[in-house]
Amino acid sequence: MTSTLARLASGAPSRCFALAGAGAGDVGPWLRLDPSVAIVDSPRAADVLLVLGRLEGEMLHAAAAVHDAIPPPRGVVVWSPDGWSSRRWPFVDAVTVRDASEIAPACRRLRDDLFRRRLASSPDALPDLDPAPWRGVGPFGQGGAGMTGGVPYGRPLAGRADDRDGLRLDQILVRVGPFLPPFPPGLLLDVRLQGDVIQEATIPAPIADDAGASGREGPSGAPVPHGHPARLAVAADSPFTTALTRPVPIAELELARARHHLAWLAEALRVSGLEAYGLRALKLAFGLDLESAESIDALDRWLRRNVSLRWGTNRVGVVTRAQAEGLPGGPVARASGDDRDARSLDPAYQRLGFEPVVRGGGDALARWRLRVAEARQSVQLAKRSRTSESTPSGVIEDPRGPLSDDVPPSAGLVALLPALLVGMEWGDAVTTVVSLDIGVIDPAVREVTSEGTGP
Amino acid sequence: MQGVAVTLAIFFVTMAAFLALRSAERRLSARASTAPARVPFTGGRAPDTHAWNRYHVRYYPMSLLFLAFDMEMVFMYPWAVVFVDEGLIALIEMFMFIVILLFGILYTWRERALEWA
Repeated sequence: MTSTLARLASGAPSRCFALAGAGAGDVGPWLRLDPSVAIVDSPRAADVLLVLGRLEGEMLHAAAAVHDAIPPPRGVVVWSPDGWSSRRWPFVDAVTVRDASEIAPACRRLRDDLFRRRLASSPDALPDLDPAPWRGVGPFGQGGAGMTGGVPYGRPLAGRADDRDGLRLDQILVRVGPFLPPFPPGLLLDVRLQGDVIQEATIPAPIADDAGASGREGPSGAPVPHGHPARLAVAADSPFTTALTRPVPIAELELARARHHLAWLAEALRVSGLEAYGLRALKLAFGLDLESAESIDALDRWLRRNVSLRWGTNRVGVVTRAQAEGLPGGPVARASGDDRDARSLDPAYQRLGFEPVVRGGGDALARWRLRVAEARQSVQLAKRSRTSESTPSGVIEDPRGPLSDDVPPSAGLVALLPALLVGMEWGDAVTTVVSLDIGVIDPAVREVTSEGTGP
Repeated sequence: MQGVAVTLAIFFVTMAAFLALRSAERRLSARASTAPARVPFTGGRAPDTHAWNRYHVRYYPMSLLFLAFDMEMVFMYPWAVVFVDEGLIALIEMFMFIVILLFGILYTWRERALEWA
């Protein structure tokens, strides 16, 4: 009977829980276009753990916990373009692929092998031990003070605290990250929740480990200064990283920017519960060319007409003009009325008549609209640019913000989070974090974002 | 006698189906049960506090208001029965009742109880 069920199940897509690390780039979103793979939001719903890029230090330890949370039979696929040694704890029996096009077939094969029992399930990485026994006062461990009796498994129960409606109710600490979709991979956030309202948000203090303490190399091979406010992982093969040091055709840069924004839009729509439209945006991003401006317009018109989307994002996660001026630049700052854009300083862009897209408001809605408008502008710029190339000046406008050897894009956004999230309902907090488009965070970011809650 | 036989047959068939499903579930289920798999998943870090808490339902002012208006119907049913006999007097009485309730709503509104707490 089991083999019959396994044969029937093999027709279904391979359910993968994806972990993105340094160097993962933007591979993750494209996998959603492959019908043979389903990217799930919880390890409990997964068959395969998909590791994209490099994981080190505490990220690796968290990955072990995610691995063990996947019910057996389970397997691991590691995509590591830069030859990161993947067959080590906790992925001792991982299938390693180098080519991004091999990820989906590898997941599918692995799942079939697991279900047909040609391969054994990946063994537990962590010991089956509770952090502490359940300590009650009764002979069977039951009873004691409090709702359940004492400190179950060494974990204290929720304490009460004042709430904004004048009641005194339970408040629990939830340790978010580093791998909780749709939050950016690598983001560590401790939130105190009372019902669904965030009463306190902090970026946790660093935990010393070897990976965090070593000087890792940043984009273009330059060492990233230790202690920078947001050491975010950037894919080394991105055209924007290349454009830091040598001229790159503007058409290539701008199409990559439009593609990035549309892929972000697809993810944001999916998180908002509009998965079919997200898929439409992703397909548009995948097939993007110089003639796609009209298709982006059509998508933009639909977004403007959608009332539920407007209700869900209007006046949510407002980044003030003052906060925006504290950022190095980027779409988040431009959606708050700050017109800084590294492309304005590039003579090649000036010749094309480039004017940065700026929106007021600074809320999630403004950020959505700005990115769609930028995607459209990028396609038009790419069409107009013909053969012109960017001028390397040490700073390039990445889709997430200005990128240089020592300042990564979306720098400063993580530090903004605690101030933005306090007082929000959980759904608004998710909308806000997604609308900031932070990207993969290097584990070493913890050392510094704990310093402050604002720019 | 026949009724007892049918009842017993239904009982045994149900029990057999229950046991068959239970054993199938045990054979087929792929539920992880190690300690790291049992904790609520919040991204890969171990929780500091237990997840069991009294969840704050923030719609409680609305539910109280709903109850108030629900009880209003208790008055309206007998009123509808005697309305034809009583005529205008009944209409005025209901009007006064609704106006008093309306003041209640305005007071709730002023106290901001209709906003999500």
